[in-house]
Amino acid sequence: MRWRHLDKSVFLWLLLVAALLLLVINPLARLVWSSFQHGATGAFTLDNYVAAYGRWRYVEALVNSVVLGLAVAAVCVVFGVPLAWAVSRTDMPGKGLVWAAILGTFIMPSYLGAVAWILLAGPNAGWLNRAYMGLTGAAAGPFNIYTKAGLVLVIACYSFPYMFVFTRSALDLISSEMEEAATTLGAGVLRTTLRVTLPLTLPAMMAAFIVAFLEAIALFGVPALIALPGRIQLMTTTLWQFFEFPPRVQVAAAYAMPLLGITALLFWLQQRLIARKGYVALTGKGGERRMVKLGSWRWVMLAYCLFVTSLSFFLPMVVVLQAAFAKAWGRGFSLDNLTLANLKFVVVDQPITRAATLHTFVYGGASAALALGLALAIAYIVHRRLVPFGNALSYVAMAPFVIPGIVLAIGFYAAYTSPPLVLYGTAWILILAFTTRFLPIAYANSNAALRAINPELEDAVRILGGGRLLALRRVVGPLLKRGLAGAFLLVFIPATRELSSAIFLYTTGTQVLSVLLFDKSDEGNFEYLSAIGLILVIGTVALVLAGFRLVGRDFMLKRTAA
Amino acid sequence: MDIARSSIKWIVLTPLLFLACAAPASAFEGEQTLYEAAKKEKELTWYTAHYGSETAAAVCNGFEKKYPGIKCNYIRTTAQVAYQRLAQDQKAGLAVASVFSSTDASHYGRLKQDGWLQPYRTKNVAELIDAFKPYNDPDDMFVATAAGLVLITYNTSVVAAKDAPKKWTDLLDPKWKDHVSIGHPSFSGYVGTWVVQMRKSYGWDYFKKLELNKPRIGRSINDTVTMLNAKESWVAAGPSATTLQSKDKGNPLALVYPEDGAILMVSPTGILKNAPAPNAAKLFEEYLLSRECNEIMVKQREESVNKSVKPLPGARSIAEIKTIRPTYEEIDKGIPEVKELFRDTFGI
Repeated sequence: MRWRHLDKSVFLWLLLVAALLLLVINPLARLVWSSFQHGATGAFTLDNYVAAYGRWRYVEALVNSVVLGLAVAAVCVVFGVPLAWAVSRTDMPGKGLVWAAILGTFIMPSYLGAVAWILLAGPNAGWLNRAYMGLTGAAAGPFNIYTKAGLVLVIACYSFPYMFVFTRSALDLISSEMEEAATTLGAGVLRTTLRVTLPLTLPAMMAAFIVAFLEAIALFGVPALIALPGRIQLMTTTLWQFFEFPPRVQVAAAYAMPLLGITALLFWLQQRLIARKGYVALTGKGGERRMVKLGSWRWVMLAYCLFVTSLSFFLPMVVVLQAAFAKAWGRGFSLDNLTLANLKFVVVDQPITRAATLHTFVYGGASAALALGLALAIAYIVHRRLVPFGNALSYVAMAPFVIPGIVLAIGFYAAYTSPPLVLYGTAWILILAFTTRFLPIAYANSNAALRAINPELEDAVRILGGGRLLALRRVVGPLLKRGLAGAFLLVFIPATRELSSAIFLYTTGTQVLSVLLFDKSDEGNFEYLSAIGLILVIGTVALVLAGFRLVGRDFMLKRTAA
Repeated sequence: MDIARSSIKWIVLTPLLFLACAAPASAFEGEQTLYEAAKKEKELTWYTAHYGSETAAAVCNGFEKKYPGIKCNYIRTTAQVAYQRLAQDQKAGLAVASVFSSTDASHYGRLKQDGWLQPYRTKNVAELIDAFKPYNDPDDMFVATAAGLVLITYNTSVVAAKDAPKKWTDLLDPKWKDHVSIGHPSFSGYVGTWVVQMRKSYGWDYFKKLELNKPRIGRSINDTVTMLNAKESWVAAGPSATTLQSKDKGNPLALVYPEDGAILMVSPTGILKNAPAPNAAKLFEEYLLSRECNEIMVKQREESVNKSVKPLPGARSIAEIKTIRPTYEEIDKGIPEVKELFRDTFGI
């Protein structure tokens, strides 16, 4: 009898939970285990932790990284939230340009941006410093990228798109009714925005805050280019030492473990902050969104948007363009220094670029689809309390992001070269690694999106006799659909940039662009590096814009009613 | 005029003709048998850190042209990543790579000790420049197949040739304050070896004095190329090959072979015991020493290890310049020590 009343969808939930455990727990557990293993004998030991934390230098690096992460996440709020609000809720002109620039920012590999910023704000010869000296006649320019502030700026430039996309998709769901209620009660635009609109996006902002924080901590490329010459010790640059010969993989694993604790702490804080408030924005009552009329302020807003995107995209792009079309970028800009040879080389003469481009997009697309599907399902399970210990699942889904890719790659390698899954040498090892690695972004996004949907909509289906799966298919799915394209990009783009785990997992026949790019940066070959970067940025932006046009949704300006 | 032109033609052509005639003769004894056996294996995988990806690709292509029917797959990474990948393969019991080429000499001691290599006496070793022969393993587990130099590099648009540093101690001159670029021994074996050698030549004081010039510390030795091109730094302790590659494109860079000696980096290659393609691996190791392969390498501005292949204009042959190099033992023991000292002195 019980069987008949049992909602059969429960098996689906259990299956999904099993998939999550397989994808995340399998590699992570192997990593945790190796942190307690003696390097040579494999016996249980705590020595790795002593080696990892027995020196003040190593502890200091970790502290620096945490401070850096917080600073980066804070700057992301300052950059991302106003832009998201301007694009989503106001009549600001030039939205398409701003959005395309943010997309371009997101696609640009951060180490390419970092090299560009060295050229822009290097203390000795940075273009901005030279321009300043030329204008003012001063003996030295004010900018120095090799400082903590410079490091925060560069990392924030390449993380704020998370804040933008998360906040924007939350803003897109909030109907104007609540704002109108505030206006009726006499509140002005500013007050309404600060007290009503933005607080409603708090869960999304916090999710993005966590993502930006975690990414800043786990990043290696930018610190290697800026923190090292700036003499700033960071966790990832310290971690790299453990891979120097003789590699102490177990110590590296031990060194990364406290990050899991930091992630747990952030979650707990997030839960505390948003636990007792309601953030349901999307109810069954439709609701329309109207643009806030900014008047002449819309030009101020546009100026701010262009300022931020200049820092993150337009200025670095000038540097990249100069190098991509230069015979020798060290000679600076001049007509006789122009050439198409770099582009020709990377597109035509180096067949591996084409193969790698294809792999990059296919693997990125596959892992984005997998991660998004799984993340939505898990978020749904957690929110509707479909299985016990749901909160633990949400922690599991977020955990992979905080472990630096180079360490995580060890776990992936161990997980996928021994049963039950032997995938080494196939594309699947990369796809599953990317899926696991970026599951947290998909999860954070899905989580915030689901929080906004009132369960009463599904309850209505169930009261009318429909099962949960029907409710999902006919109600929740369509409601989420609008945000899905954005969520897909959020995983797809980082997956196309992912380097640190790819470098250990690729084999002949499964090369990806990020590895090629890194090679060029490692070889000091800035002309080719810029040429590949340029192709990557322009190609992906075009692909994304065409994709949106193809599905017939002008996601920028037109809004279909929920 | 005519005579001059035609004699130039002959000066250019004669060596080419000579090469064309000489090439088949460079084949080693037993080449055909080895080739036949290798063909049955169809492909080989080569983990290499010896040069950049373009050179690795060119070397592989050259091999495929010389020995049709055998596919050459390269996985080009930095030395530590190459070792880490190999170690993971071995631990998981996977046989992926057949040939292993690292720039970190200490890897080979460990590989040999762990029994991961198989011996092979390269027939082409007669072609190897004599100065490199001492770096070959007496038990034939590995053989020197690549070389590089750490020397003084500078940006010619800000430093005139006559003002450029001539020896390593010139980098300590206060006139270079804030304008010296170096790499980090924790990230680069080239830099590590350079630091060990400087300590050997001038004591650790050298680096204490260098710190007064506040050098820009990058990660790999190739980062100095970027720093010089950006004019962020004017002089550097840099690599020969990458700097010359960038110079060839027209970037304003130049090399100084230091009077007190360029640091010679010798990088061996070994065949793995569990090589899936042992015969192709042996053939490949022969090829790495061959004239064809070294001609490809000098075109990419890598140093030649073959006696009869001379570098292109702008570079000098290793045989003609003063080089210095710590011994294997000094490198093995010295690198971990100098990493610590380096961190103490430079705070990073």
